[in-house]
Amino acid sequence: MLELRNVFKRYDSVTAVAGLSLKIEPGGIFGILGPNGAGKTTTIRMIMGIIRPDEGEIRIFGEPFNESMKDRIGYLPEERGLYRKMKVLEHLVFLAEIKGVDAKEAARRGRMWMEKLEISGWENKTVESLSKGMQQKIQFISTVIHDPQLIILDEPFTGLDPINTQLLKDIIAEMQQDGRTIVLSTHLMDQVEKLCSKICLINKGHKVLDGNLIDIKMEYGKNVVTMLFEGDSSAIKSFPGVEKVTAYGQELTITVREGLDTNELLKFAADHGRVERFEVGEISLHDIFISKVRGEGGEADEKAV
Amino acid sequence: MRKLFKIAKREYLDRVRRKSFLIGTILGPILMGGMIIVPGLLFSITAGEHVTMAVIDMADSLYSDFSAALDDTLKDGTKMFLLKKAEIDGQSFEALKEELKSQVTGGLLDGYLVIPKDIIKSGNATFYGKKVSNVTTLERIEKALNRVVMAKRLARHGMQYDAVQKMMEKVKLETVQITKGEEKKSDFENKFQTSFIFIMILYMTILMWGVAVERSIIEEKNNRIVEVLLSSVRPFDILGGKILGVGAVGLTQYAIWAVFTGTLAVYALSTGMFAQFVSFTWVTLLYFMLYYLLGFLFYSTIFAGIGSICNTDQEAQQLQTPVVMALAFTIIIPIAIMQKPDGLFATVVSMIPFFTPIVMFMRINVLTPPAWQIALSVLIMLVSIYIAGLISAKIFRVGILMYGKRPQIKEVMKWLRRA
Repeated sequence: MLELRNVFKRYDSVTAVAGLSLKIEPGGIFGILGPNGAGKTTTIRMIMGIIRPDEGEIRIFGEPFNESMKDRIGYLPEERGLYRKMKVLEHLVFLAEIKGVDAKEAARRGRMWMEKLEISGWENKTVESLSKGMQQKIQFISTVIHDPQLIILDEPFTGLDPINTQLLKDIIAEMQQDGRTIVLSTHLMDQVEKLCSKICLINKGHKVLDGNLIDIKMEYGKNVVTMLFEGDSSAIKSFPGVEKVTAYGQELTITVREGLDTNELLKFAADHGRVERFEVGEISLHDIFISKVRGEGGEADEKAV
Repeated sequence: MRKLFKIAKREYLDRVRRKSFLIGTILGPILMGGMIIVPGLLFSITAGEHVTMAVIDMADSLYSDFSAALDDTLKDGTKMFLLKKAEIDGQSFEALKEELKSQVTGGLLDGYLVIPKDIIKSGNATFYGKKVSNVTTLERIEKALNRVVMAKRLARHGMQYDAVQKMMEKVKLETVQITKGEEKKSDFENKFQTSFIFIMILYMTILMWGVAVERSIIEEKNNRIVEVLLSSVRPFDILGGKILGVGAVGLTQYAIWAVFTGTLAVYALSTGMFAQFVSFTWVTLLYFMLYYLLGFLFYSTIFAGIGSICNTDQEAQQLQTPVVMALAFTIIIPIAIMQKPDGLFATVVSMIPFFTPIVMFMRINVLTPPAWQIALSVLIMLVSIYIAGLISAKIFRVGILMYGKRPQIKEVMKWLRRA
């Protein structure tokens, strides 16, 4: 579906993307994850043909990029933009028309999508009279109104409240079931990890890690325990075999020595406080990312993640 | 190309529906029409009122002649000036003036005229009135008085006013412009006036719509819609679509104005006063449209390039100054061109793309340059538009996604070489 081979993009002094290779199979939701400034948006812009890579090759639908492909791809840019003075439906029709959909069909689909996203009734209002969240929905509709095979979403959930985030997640999942390929880029790793089947973690233009999400979690999670714990976390640290404890409020992420009996740890913890939840092998992408980047030279700035 | 037209269509509809377009389109001709209609209108308004005035004739022999000379009539056929002779009758001159003054302030009189004893020699008289700003009324009084005094002076030398008037009639020089064997009456001043109006319209519309393209690009950069568009169309489609859309708005405005001026022309002709304003032909109009299009395409392409590397209107204003100055140059040289429209200077200037649209149009308007020169100017414009388009498209491609600091000219040159 989409393949990047050793792609480079340099701006004057910065290398935004350094030798990135990716292979995205048809169907499924692929996550491109990484902190701000990792090169996600640059990568996507190169896929969309908006900017050209300095080196390397990008193939979409098995072919090198050509202009006519744009009609088969839906792109939701990170920097949202709509004509503020235009009427909503008219705007959707315009954006569909430049994707090659005829006006009548575009209007029909626009109405259908507006209903689906629970914003019908606003067709003849100007874009600027809509709330930020509604504008987000309009922008999303414009990315899918031409029924694309490949959908690229750059930070699709920013600015959405939890209800609308869920609504959008459901729609994304639904589209995947329809057989579309979805590429999702975000810096909020935890927010999307349940959505993606495959991921690629990038940092500073380099690929840190990629593959099947379940496999990755299996591999990185076997020595990790997460626990919701009311009590003295320093006691946990003293348990033999515990290598590291990271506390996020009451949630502790505990790295243990291989072969440790986690049942013993649970008993120990229960003696020293109250255990609300105890999970073995469940590790967040966020933690994987940090341990991976740290492991590779420890340059990652944790605050940026 | 289909997508380019979609962009153009959106741009066009968006602009035509704006209030500012409506206001600009209506206000433009109202201002221009105002200059033509208002004096005529004022004239007819003042012509509708009687002027009541008293005359103190110190010379004592002019009143009846003056009264006869002031024979202007109103539309209903009655005399415009209602005169009344004020006799001194023993009272002092000052007392009489005081009395008339109170009548003026009381509204019984519009004013009074004092004809001094020595008017034949001095040629001075004084009008006292509430309103001394009504030029047409005063002109009429002056003219009548003038006629009476001159007749008296001539009579002293045994001459008749009417006979002298006839003898003094001026010689009128008629000029005939030769266009392709056909002779056409015209006179320079009217030609110049008409040309100048057209040139000003050309200048203003090219500048206005050219800058509109530039603004529109900056605006889309700022509201980030550009990236959405780029995921659907080529940069060239955006650039071309915008220019085409805005250009069509300009043409629409012209069409509206043309209808308006057409109506106005009929009105102006019917009053018979402003015949000189309609000394243009359909051919002139056709050339006008042609050079507007060429000029707009050329300048708006350059403005588009400027817009794509700027983030604010202020930045753009700075950068566009030399371009605007090049355009402005063409409206400060028309007299030089008009005086020698086929001279070396005019010919050369009319072949420089920055000046061609206005200068060549100006030349065509005053004389008909050789056909090859017109053809050459069009060719030069087309080639220049193409080159400007290539350069702008390259700058546009890179610049449109650049936010933050405006790139230096050096950087822009680098893009050009690389792209």
